[in-house]
Amino acid sequence: MSNKELIIETENLQKKYVTDTVETTALAGVSLRIAKGEFVAIMGPSGCGKSTLLNILGLLDNPTSGSLRFSGQEIAGASERQRAKIRKQNLGFVFQSFNLIDELTVEENIGLPLAYLGVSKSETERRVTEAMERMGIAHRRSHFPQQLSGGQQQRVAIARATVSNPSLILADEPTGNLDSVHGREVMALLSELNEQGTTVVMVTHSPSDAEYAHRIVNLFDGQIVTENMNIRKHATELL
Amino acid sequence: MFRNYFKTAYRNLFRHKGFTVINIAGLALGLTACLLIGLFVHDELQYDKFLPEGERVYRVYNDISAQEAGSVLAVVPPMFGTTLEESIPEVDKVVRILMLQFDANNLVEVGDKSIYEKGRFFADPEFFEIFQLPFKYGSPEKALDDPSSVVISDAFSERVFGDIDPVGKKVSLDKQPFIVRGVFSTTERFHLPVNFVLPMAAAELPAERMKSWGWQQFYTYVKLKEGADSQSAQAKFRGIVAKQIDEDTNQPYKYLPFLQPLNEVYLYSAGFKFDQSIKGNITYVKALSVIAIFILLIACFNFVNLATAKSLQRAKEVGVRKAIGASRSQLMLQFLSETVLLTLISVIFSAALTSLLLPSLNAFTGKEMDFNVFTNPSLLLLLIGLTLVVGILAGLYPAMVLSGFQPVKVLKSAVVVDSTVGRIQWLRHGLIVVQFALSIFLIISASVVYKQVGYLHNKDLGFNREQIMFFQMRGDNMFTNHETFKSELLKGAGIKDVSMGYGFPGDATAGDGVIVPRNGEQVRHATTLLMVDFNYINTLDIKLVAGRPFSKDFKTDADQAFMINETAVRELGFETPEKALGQTLLWPTWDNQDSLREGKIIGVVKDFHFKSLYDKVDPTVLQIYPGAYVKVAVKMDTENVAGSIAHIQGVWDKFSPDYPMEYIFMDDNFEKMYKAEDKLKSLLTIFTAIAIFVACLGLFGLAAYAAERRKKEIGIRKVLGAETSSIVMLLSKDFLKLVVVAALIAFPVAWYAMQTWLQDFAYRIDIPVWIFLAAGIVAALLAFVTISVQAIKAATSDPVRNLRVD
Repeated sequence: MSNKELIIETENLQKKYVTDTVETTALAGVSLRIAKGEFVAIMGPSGCGKSTLLNILGLLDNPTSGSLRFSGQEIAGASERQRAKIRKQNLGFVFQSFNLIDELTVEENIGLPLAYLGVSKSETERRVTEAMERMGIAHRRSHFPQQLSGGQQQRVAIARATVSNPSLILADEPTGNLDSVHGREVMALLSELNEQGTTVVMVTHSPSDAEYAHRIVNLFDGQIVTENMNIRKHATELL
Repeated sequence: MFRNYFKTAYRNLFRHKGFTVINIAGLALGLTACLLIGLFVHDELQYDKFLPEGERVYRVYNDISAQEAGSVLAVVPPMFGTTLEESIPEVDKVVRILMLQFDANNLVEVGDKSIYEKGRFFADPEFFEIFQLPFKYGSPEKALDDPSSVVISDAFSERVFGDIDPVGKKVSLDKQPFIVRGVFSTTERFHLPVNFVLPMAAAELPAERMKSWGWQQFYTYVKLKEGADSQSAQAKFRGIVAKQIDEDTNQPYKYLPFLQPLNEVYLYSAGFKFDQSIKGNITYVKALSVIAIFILLIACFNFVNLATAKSLQRAKEVGVRKAIGASRSQLMLQFLSETVLLTLISVIFSAALTSLLLPSLNAFTGKEMDFNVFTNPSLLLLLIGLTLVVGILAGLYPAMVLSGFQPVKVLKSAVVVDSTVGRIQWLRHGLIVVQFALSIFLIISASVVYKQVGYLHNKDLGFNREQIMFFQMRGDNMFTNHETFKSELLKGAGIKDVSMGYGFPGDATAGDGVIVPRNGEQVRHATTLLMVDFNYINTLDIKLVAGRPFSKDFKTDADQAFMINETAVRELGFETPEKALGQTLLWPTWDNQDSLREGKIIGVVKDFHFKSLYDKVDPTVLQIYPGAYVKVAVKMDTENVAGSIAHIQGVWDKFSPDYPMEYIFMDDNFEKMYKAEDKLKSLLTIFTAIAIFVACLGLFGLAAYAAERRKKEIGIRKVLGAETSSIVMLLSKDFLKLVVVAALIAFPVAWYAMQTWLQDFAYRIDIPVWIFLAAGIVAALLAFVTISVQAIKAATSDPVRNLRVD
């Protein structure tokens, strides 16, 4: 494990929110190492800081203190511009509430990251078609998000998250708004992507979803309380 | 990428139809108002610009305030022209135009055709060298050299000769023969109401009079040499003028001559006396420009407000795009493209609307403005520029707010709590306040203009101008036998009285000095002289404050009696009207300047307004003077006006069969004085209505948004038993507070602006307080009704559904 190349390495990561009267500590010194190709689930009760951690790992937010290295590069305190650059080249996001843009079709939503990367039109079309086929939603390409079921919407979101071939996918309760059948479908897709080499970091409440991960990180009050290897998963891998 | 932006933009506009319609309607309306005003203002600025080398041409005017308070004269003495030409090295050419009544009719006869034409100019031969009007026939060279030549306008030519080249043809003007030397074209905007030009020689002015420094009778224009400095020419000229001695007083003239650039003559001559040019008014041009900017601002603010109000709905999109890797500048560009697209649609609508409305504006203003994007590429360029400027102006702030959202804050939760929201709220309220302050300002201004214009039309002028027919005497017979003419007229059944004279209300009057002998000294006073007959006071119903009117019963009244007005009582230094009676006045007669008419003051009339209410009533002296009778006023019964006119026509034909009869009614003539104000009133009303409508449109959208945002709150309140009325109040209260603040800002500004405008009038209303209150109440009511529509909708909706939303 430790000899593998690290994609994310945090050191004593802290995040504090200050309002007029109260200072809330969301993360109180989190040190976490995630290797390339790993599938990590972050669990914990509401308010434990898991979403905050995911946002920081996804470069959507800056930590108050501590160190955050992405592929060995220190980016704690980087500017929004730098973070945006790394985001669009390396990261893909999957959200609980899908967060598709209502005004864009399935196809356009999926193509959006490529547009921001400046990928050519023909190349975009090719990769979008490929992503849609992989997710089994090619027949819905010209539909708008509201015309799709929740499971389909999340598949569009995953297609969008993967279309630019990111090295890391961050998923925030990806099954939270889905029924169990669609939830299992989505988890199977994430597993598949992970098996193809993409690192996945997922925040979840659901123990059954966590089962898909190699490693489960338990957070409580902004600190890592336990880190467990997923025996079953490793066992299957070992088999 | 842009395709993507526009696609999102288009779909967004389509999805939020309500907002889109409000935005486009508001912007399109605002832009239309702007375009119409812009066209009008542009046209006003075009006067005299077409004249080649016009930038070297200056009008000479004379400020004689040091002599007569507030007098800036558009006319100058003949020696001004002579001196400028001979003694000022910067001057290349000079033209003098004799001041006559340019709107007086002149009889034109060709063959058996005989019609009246206005716009007769007597001018020096340099006229067409200084005003290089394009010639349709003939050529300007030497066109005015021969005293029998006349150069006519194309319109004149068309009316008199039809569609032929009239050069070399004979034409009789007021029974004198002339030969047409050329035809100039009058399609361009020229400030002189010239219709035909005669050589100065044809006016047969005595050579002696042309050497006068005191006879203010000539419009004078100079053309400077290329590169010459007008300021230095003006300074040199002032030096010469200052040395001229007035023979009457033995003092130097208190003249201050100015060289006014030609391109300022049309707009910047509002207060000039004896100015008969076609005039615009820079105040009105500026006022309209300001209104245009107001309306555009209100429309842009609508956009800013609605876009920022709506921004939370788009926060998620911003978050997603940012998470995916969009940079802030890319997002700003996206939102700006949206605004520009919206503006473009509005501009297209407003261009169509402008084309549709322009004919009405043309009819209303008497202009011939053109708005055709297809034939005028600069207009197209202007519209594109307008789209970009308005789009970016209106879109910049919302784009900054929207693109500033932090993805981490907007992606997760349904409710966005962002530190910018409070600031936006503040800005939004600020903009509503500005919008309503502008609207209230416009309501007050329009009301004050309405009142003042009403006052101008309805003020008791101190005489009766109703049912008075007014015409100029024509033909030798009529002049020679004017007493018989008058008594013939009086025989008509419906004729109540007839007066002849020179100096009727609304018509030309003579300014001249009278002398008051006091303690052995002779003090000269500038006054207006009204040359009247025995019927004048009765015909016009002028009130007396002391003494008696002219009467044939007193033999001396014919040439040894004066009447004066109340102002003259004060200015000539007779403490009271009663004390003025019996005092002696001296007047150098017009037939012979060396002979003084000496007479007593027999009566004092109440001040009456024979000029427009822009001017203060001058000290005025009335006297019987048949030598100056040129105009006739006939007072008629309201019954059988047609019969009275037929009678007058009959008498006219008996005395002057060679001349067609023409007449006006005195009240019509007076109404015309306030044409500019009437138009200002109408324009102000229309544009105020547009401004308020656009502002209410924005409020309507915002109220809809507020109702939407507070749906849950309203639901809870209703479940707890709130009445519809209390919910309407809840939603309206916030907005109404803003209207009150707006009113407090608008009141002093409007008061100051209108007070300044009213200063132009010698006679004006006091701005009543109720206008302010009414304007505030009207604005508040309109706002309340607008908001109520939304509030009632929200208050009567099903609370259960609203509570389920989250």
